[in-house]
Amino acid sequence: MKMENNLTDELLDDEFNLTEADENLNKYLTFISAELVYGIPIDNVVEIITNPGITSLPMVPSYVKGIMNLRGQIVPIIDIRQIMNKPVNEDAAITCVIILEIDSISIGVLVDTVLQVINVNNKLSDPPSKNLDFINGMTNLIDGTVMFSLDCQALISNK
Amino acid sequence: MNNGMDSMIDMYLFETNSLLEQLENIMLEAEKAKAFSSADIDEIFRIMHTIKGSSAMMEFDSISKVAHRFEDLFFIFRQNNTTDSLSEGMRKELFNLILRTNDFMRTEVAKIEQNEPISDNIDHFINDINTFIEKLNADEPSTLEAAEMTNAPAETNVTQNSAVLQSIPATASPYIVKILFDDGSGMEHLRAFIVKNAISDAIGNNFKFYPEDVEHNSETCNYIIDHGFFIFLDDESLMDATISAIKSAPNIASFEVIANPTVEATKTEEAKPELQQKEVTQSATAPVQNKSAKGSTPPAAQSQQAKQSIISVNLSKLDSLMAIVGEIVITESMVTSSPDLKGLKLDNFLKSTRQLRKLTDELQDIAMSMRMVPISGVFNKMNRIVRDMGQSLNKDVRLTIIGENTELDKTIVDSINDPLIHIVRNAMDHGIEETVEERLAAGKEPQGEIVLEAKHTGSDIMITIADDGVGVNTEKVLEKAKRNGILTKPESEYSKREILMLLLAPGFSTNETVTEYSGRGVGMDVVKQNIEKVGGIVSIESELGEGTCITLKIPLTLAIVDGMEIAVGKSTFTLPITNIRQSFKCTQEEIIYDSLGHEMIERMGNYYSIVRLHKLYNLETEVTDIEEGILVWVEASDISYCLFVDSFIGEQQVVVKPLPPYLNGFNIKNSGIAGCTILGDGNISIILDALSLQTAFENSL
Repeated sequence: MKMENNLTDELLDDEFNLTEADENLNKYLTFISAELVYGIPIDNVVEIITNPGITSLPMVPSYVKGIMNLRGQIVPIIDIRQIMNKPVNEDAAITCVIILEIDSISIGVLVDTVLQVINVNNKLSDPPSKNLDFINGMTNLIDGTVMFSLDCQALISNK
Repeated sequence: MNNGMDSMIDMYLFETNSLLEQLENIMLEAEKAKAFSSADIDEIFRIMHTIKGSSAMMEFDSISKVAHRFEDLFFIFRQNNTTDSLSEGMRKELFNLILRTNDFMRTEVAKIEQNEPISDNIDHFINDINTFIEKLNADEPSTLEAAEMTNAPAETNVTQNSAVLQSIPATASPYIVKILFDDGSGMEHLRAFIVKNAISDAIGNNFKFYPEDVEHNSETCNYIIDHGFFIFLDDESLMDATISAIKSAPNIASFEVIANPTVEATKTEEAKPELQQKEVTQSATAPVQNKSAKGSTPPAAQSQQAKQSIISVNLSKLDSLMAIVGEIVITESMVTSSPDLKGLKLDNFLKSTRQLRKLTDELQDIAMSMRMVPISGVFNKMNRIVRDMGQSLNKDVRLTIIGENTELDKTIVDSINDPLIHIVRNAMDHGIEETVEERLAAGKEPQGEIVLEAKHTGSDIMITIADDGVGVNTEKVLEKAKRNGILTKPESEYSKREILMLLLAPGFSTNETVTEYSGRGVGMDVVKQNIEKVGGIVSIESELGEGTCITLKIPLTLAIVDGMEIAVGKSTFTLPITNIRQSFKCTQEEIIYDSLGHEMIERMGNYYSIVRLHKLYNLETEVTDIEEGILVWVEASDISYCLFVDSFIGEQQVVVKPLPPYLNGFNIKNSGIAGCTILGDGNISIILDALSLQTAFENSL
């Protein structure tokens, strides 16, 4: 399955490079968490909330920060730093939550800073290590930084 | 049109279902009494007649055909006014036949609900009924006559009808509009009804139409095809509006404005269209016949009038009403306890808010009561199960129902249906003794008894299912549990209560063999799960040789909870008031420690463990000294403990919101959390579940 995807991606990429059509660009929302740049497919992003009131939940893994009230809807929040095994950002002045909708499940991810929406036109490479649970690809951005693509499916699978 | 169709199907389903339910109840009652009263026969006849008519109207032919034959069958009884002349065997057969028909119709109606095609294979059914009628005729010469009489009137009825239908009744209205519908457009009577409604929208109700019973009588269909649908107008000024209404209605082939020949005739003696004239002469007798034809269905008309004070509403509308009312309750407290008001002296404002609170409370009560339905629907289904199982297992059991008018939330009624069926089946299959001899030997009445009882207890409803059968053999249960490997501690340590609770454990089925009715290994644990899903509790009591009693304790409604807001550190939790027995301060001296250092306290002669919420949930708080905080004595079903919290914030009604589905993966239901709610200030408060909190506490030790 993965092979196939890569193949088609490659084919598509070639074609795109030839035609330089705009619509084949993949849009990602990029953000920073623990000094690394991550990207989320823009289709999954609903909105960005700063400084939400988060109610913590007892007896859940520590990366589940809690739940928040998004206009009457209860949305769980998970901390990207903690699922990436980074220390918690204790002294952040502003908390930033990106609300995602993945397979009609709403979930918020806590990040350090939201960057921008970018177009990624080269295909994503597989990360060399298979130990990264929540990453399904990486690529170089125009400014030379490396972006890790967040695996949305893995996010909601409660691992 | 499509929308109209949908709501018509909805109406049809609703009506037919309630009629079938009614039929079944009559049947079961009659079976107990071993005879039909003439009122029963009339009622069944009327039910079948209505089903026949409405099914034919909706073009569900198989249902209408079966109903038709059935009507014929009951016509025989109706002529005799009794079924007393039936032999024992015949009566049994009759009851079975009726119940089978009822089942058949139910399945067909269910198919319609699911949008599946209904089955055409009804021949065997019709045959069965026919054979039965033949048997009736052969067995009973007296009924034979009746049968002949039946057939005859049935036919004359039709001819009478058609005689009526050939003409329009005499009318004083000077203008007649004759409407013909497209060939083969189907359901002409309904189309006529739509046209009639369109006209009444346009000009009000000051007109007449014929046939008059197009809405209910599908037989008018043929008349309309043959002759057309007639509108009678008194005033020429209404003509334009009427015609434009007719023009805009669908499937109209043609229409024609005719000056009323009767009126014309009296005026000018000039016979206009000959055909019309002819019809007028016939119509002189028509109204009389019309009356007699109508006479056959007065009960239908009556009951419809009685029903008019009740409307049926889509449940989703009630759901959203309930949700909005819930939000209003919250918003109300959001407004009245707004931080902006702090320190202000607002006498008038407070007066108004008190008034508002009263009104919102009332609104909430009414909204809640709209969702309440009596439990009798579910209970009455058990009659059927007891009857069917009694026959096939050859056990004589009577079902006693108490408190069937107890009302509870519609969603809860639906969700206790399956568990109840299961428990009653169990009682029939395992509870009641296999043979009458066994019962007599145990000094009991030969007839077994199952008692179904529902009653209110505060904010809960208690449903008990008790049988006077063999009771549960605790030794056998223990043995079986051991074999199945579901014991968690040594056998000798199990109390009787705990052994009975083993029956509710997954994978437990005491019966050695799987029977048709119970013992599929997915027994009582499913019952337990289903009841717990609606926040209820199952408990079992049993005495060997004396019977078993299963109690379901279920909250009346799920949506709104009276809660006590409690604070632990920076967090706010909501504890349902119903779980709180008492709250108190205690001193260090009162605390008792066990060998492991766990804290306990004595209240009213019993010892209860102290659950420190901050410790259990790992919350930071300054209140760790037992003397500083407050102890809440919590009770839930059969467990009881003391919860240590920082302080009380206050009492509040809250709307329960389920936790997001994402969190279900963390087994959050077992960590003492029932859901959450949004407080007046927009913050979230977690609703505690006293029962699973205890489990979480035990697991954390």
